[in-house]
Amino acid sequence: MLRKIPVMVCAVCGVFMAAQYFIVSGPVSQLYGTVLDWMQIIFVCALLVGILHVITRQIKNISRPGPERWYAMIALFGIALMVVLGFGWGISRGSPFLWVFDHVQAPMQTTVFSLLAFYVASAAYRGFRARHAESAVLVLAALIVLLGRVPVGEIISPYVPQTVSWVLNVPAVAAKRAILIGIGLGMTATAIKVIAGMERTYLGSGGR
Amino acid sequence: MKLDRRIIFMIVALAVVVPLLFPLGLPVAVTDETRAVYERLERLEQGSVVMLSFDHEASSLPEVRPLAEAILNHCFRRNIRVVGLALFAEGAAVGYDILHDLAARHDKQYGHDYAYLGYRPQYTAAILGMGESIREVFPTDYDDTPYDDIPLLREIRNYGDIGLVVSVADGSLPTYWVEYAQARYGQEIIAALTAVMVTAYAPYVDAGQISGVLGGLKGAAEYEILLGRHAAGKRGMDAQSLAHLSIAVMIVIGNVVAFGLRRKNETTEAGGHSS
Repeated sequence: MLRKIPVMVCAVCGVFMAAQYFIVSGPVSQLYGTVLDWMQIIFVCALLVGILHVITRQIKNISRPGPERWYAMIALFGIALMVVLGFGWGISRGSPFLWVFDHVQAPMQTTVFSLLAFYVASAAYRGFRARHAESAVLVLAALIVLLGRVPVGEIISPYVPQTVSWVLNVPAVAAKRAILIGIGLGMTATAIKVIAGMERTYLGSGGR
Repeated sequence: MKLDRRIIFMIVALAVVVPLLFPLGLPVAVTDETRAVYERLERLEQGSVVMLSFDHEASSLPEVRPLAEAILNHCFRRNIRVVGLALFAEGAAVGYDILHDLAARHDKQYGHDYAYLGYRPQYTAAILGMGESIREVFPTDYDDTPYDDIPLLREIRNYGDIGLVVSVADGSLPTYWVEYAQARYGQEIIAALTAVMVTAYAPYVDAGQISGVLGGLKGAAEYEILLGRHAAGKRGMDAQSLAHLSIAVMIVIGNVVAFGLRRKNETTEAGGHSS
């Protein structure tokens, strides 16, 4: 019974969401609106579960000896600080919450993200080796795209950006389109299996 | 050829920092893709509404901020009204700042010329919900002012009152705008993306599901040229150009040296066998 109820709920919701797309009527639209509200409510509940998990995990890390306890303390302090600032002074312009976001969180995240440039450069130097004909084509395409996406490519030759445009709009799009069609078919098949109750892995171990 | 990683890091750092301190002023050619986005906004009537969605994390701010600023400059210059929102939590604070900053530069009045709805979780439900009623999804704006107390928002019921949606994104969010706002409600979409994401959206542009793509710092720089102003996009292009060039040179040198070593090894092995 524990397994049948969620499967039935899923089947009814799945059939309704597919059917409502083709039905234009007041009650159906109203029910559809309610389903959308519930999607947001469930998402927020999942978000709360995630926050609680992070907090309990960090508390556990504090209780363990080792350098991780200091990181855990900073993480917990950060969570508590943002909650206090947000609820205490609001999140409008000029609020301490927004100040911390603009001057601490955003610069930290952009700094970490920008480190990628260094690692990408290092990986490109080591990885892009023309060992045989296929890898030579890859290296050549990478070099052309690398240069053609910036003004330097135009300075080298007007053909460089034109070639980049062709590479991105013809072979790359063809490959991407094939992947997208594959994903679409896979998603449709999975959705039908979920609605029919054949696919139950979303239930976790209880689904087996 | 083994090269200490720190040397590569140093070369990249110099390639980025030097042009930022001493701009080179490399010429930026405007591509057809950027011109298409610009011309689409030019075709919007004055007073029409553009919905600008900040669908990104704070980490991509240096790349997405110039894109958002270029679009907003164009909208405000043409007296197009803007409704901002965010479908990523971090985008909410970023969008709030950018929208207010740009509106202040153009002397625009909150509630009449622009409004900011803030963040809603679960983007699928939010995008679908706005197709029925934006008021239902956002009963208040970011500052908790009721939806109906804002004159601009009172005029807007759903996508039918929105001329264009611009998703400023660093990931897959524009896909959801296409699947749920464009496919279901016929809403026209433009994507302003980080450079790495541009190729992923080319099939949607080809199919006409996305009306245009503005890509990366280069897209922002090109848009600034079309607007006749120089800002962060143009400044960043010099640094990006030299960084790309330095990486390309390193790849070429690495391959030339590796090829030379391989030839040398082959010659040595051939000599060994013959003796």
